[in-house]
Amino acid sequence: MYGKKRERVFLLMILPAFVGFFILFIVPTLMSFFYSLTNWSVYNADLDFVGLANYKQLFSDTKTMASISNTVKYAVLITIFQNIVAILLAVFLNKKMKGANFTKSLVFLPAVLSILVTGFLFQYIMSSSDFGLFNRIIQFFGGQPINWLGDADLALYSVLITQVWQWSGWSMVIYIANLKSIDSALYEAADIDGAGSVRKFFTVTLPLLYPAVSFNILMSLIGGMKVFDVIFAMTKGGPGYATETIMTTMIREGFNSGRNAYASALAVVFFIVVFILSRIVIIFLNRWERKIS
Amino acid sequence: MMRKKATTWLYRLGFVLISIVVGLPLYYLVVTTFKTPEEAALSPLGLPSSLNFANYERALEAMNYGNALKNNLVITVSAVILLVVFASMAAYVISRSQSKLFKTMYNIFLVGLIIPFQIAIVPLYQIISGLNLMNTHTGVILVSVFCINLPLSIFLLRGFISTVPVELEEAAFLDGCGTFKTFWLVIFPLLKPIISTVVILNALAIWNDFLTPLLFLQSPDKAVLLQEVYKNVGPFSTNWTSFFPMLVLSVLPLVVFYIMMQKRVIEGVVAGSVKG
Repeated sequence: MYGKKRERVFLLMILPAFVGFFILFIVPTLMSFFYSLTNWSVYNADLDFVGLANYKQLFSDTKTMASISNTVKYAVLITIFQNIVAILLAVFLNKKMKGANFTKSLVFLPAVLSILVTGFLFQYIMSSSDFGLFNRIIQFFGGQPINWLGDADLALYSVLITQVWQWSGWSMVIYIANLKSIDSALYEAADIDGAGSVRKFFTVTLPLLYPAVSFNILMSLIGGMKVFDVIFAMTKGGPGYATETIMTTMIREGFNSGRNAYASALAVVFFIVVFILSRIVIIFLNRWERKIS
Repeated sequence: MMRKKATTWLYRLGFVLISIVVGLPLYYLVVTTFKTPEEAALSPLGLPSSLNFANYERALEAMNYGNALKNNLVITVSAVILLVVFASMAAYVISRSQSKLFKTMYNIFLVGLIIPFQIAIVPLYQIISGLNLMNTHTGVILVSVFCINLPLSIFLLRGFISTVPVELEEAAFLDGCGTFKTFWLVIFPLLKPIISTVVILNALAIWNDFLTPLLFLQSPDKAVLLQEVYKNVGPFSTNWTSFFPMLVLSVLPLVVFYIMMQKRVIEGVVAGSVKG
């Protein structure tokens, strides 16, 4: 019943979004791929093709390789910890009891703070100077102070703790919404079978949380891969390059050092790593889904 | 009966412990803002001896707070409005037209859901310079809208619009109402729940975005709140009781927003997680 005119109006309605997206996302993304094969830098007036030279350089640069492995390690660990904490909180707080709602609201609150602010706050809290709150508490209980951000073996985990603190509430509210959709008859049936609460969790709750688990896992994984603000605020990649990540390296090389082609090559590697890692996780999630259905 | 009472108390204890773990850093942040450095070092967790707002006065001035707040508002409000307008129109077309062209466009938008935009930033810098948008709020707004947040908004809106029955717009069409008008007068008002989700998710993301302003805004008068905080870290590094109020002031608007709109914010986060 609609004529050709409708399609013309449609075109006008979708074009602003598409043109904007094309110019500001698709084009620069393709340019990254293109520039990664050139010698483009602020010191170079002429643009030449150099093949895979940037990639070769990148893979032989220990600092850049460390940043890639730090990023993968961070993303995998935050995915695991954030989701375990969030599921436990969701199960524990999904109660109609006095105090449960307040606690839920408070647990979510850190997610509305900016990551940069959380980073600065914890930089002080984890400081090894005498005002560092964590060490004051540890010393109060008679423990030895910990060099949270200055110890290369520890710094990445310290940063990780702050982000688990900040983002578990976000995942938790998604898990709670999923929990509410579970039919209580299933729990009654499990009760009749004499299942304990731990068994009920693994046989009823966890399989039915599949939609929230798969969403949250992919979100924290991809979010973890992009980690930048919190590193920028807390450690600037240090000590040494213990907390250097793909994004901190890319920003430094691309903007501070002016090695644009090198940064572009890193961007391409970043894309490939994100792609492979999320593929692997999706394969596992699908396998799990088949098993429970 | 006894056992039930005991579990209730166990739960209450759990709630208190969780609240302490989550709340302690926030409590520490707020109480420190009212102290002098000596007082803060002496008893970091004690209540301040008096409600001393001198730290806040200094922070407001050092951050150029009024101006930075205005910049944040301009960027966030404009970007969110543009996102709602462009994404809802695009999502409507995608869910209503059978045309191959629009399906292809949708698939291209979806690429943006999978590829992190960070991959594009080095050339993006060049494009924004080339468009003469460097160091302008317009540049930051356009990047926030088109490069970062558009795909998710379109994805969420399309999922919702697909559930809106087409009979309404058919009736409007038979009444002689044009396609564009039908969308804005008949369909758009029905999208309220999902628009609220899109507004909340985007407002949080854009308000708290640090990387985009860091890369594209250089003049101090155009800086957003987070840039002002960042600028003052160095100078105030040894004087953290004067620095903490800046952290509080920079997150205060969103915290107030969250406290007032808590239910909506959480609903928005949940609705944003539903896969299409």
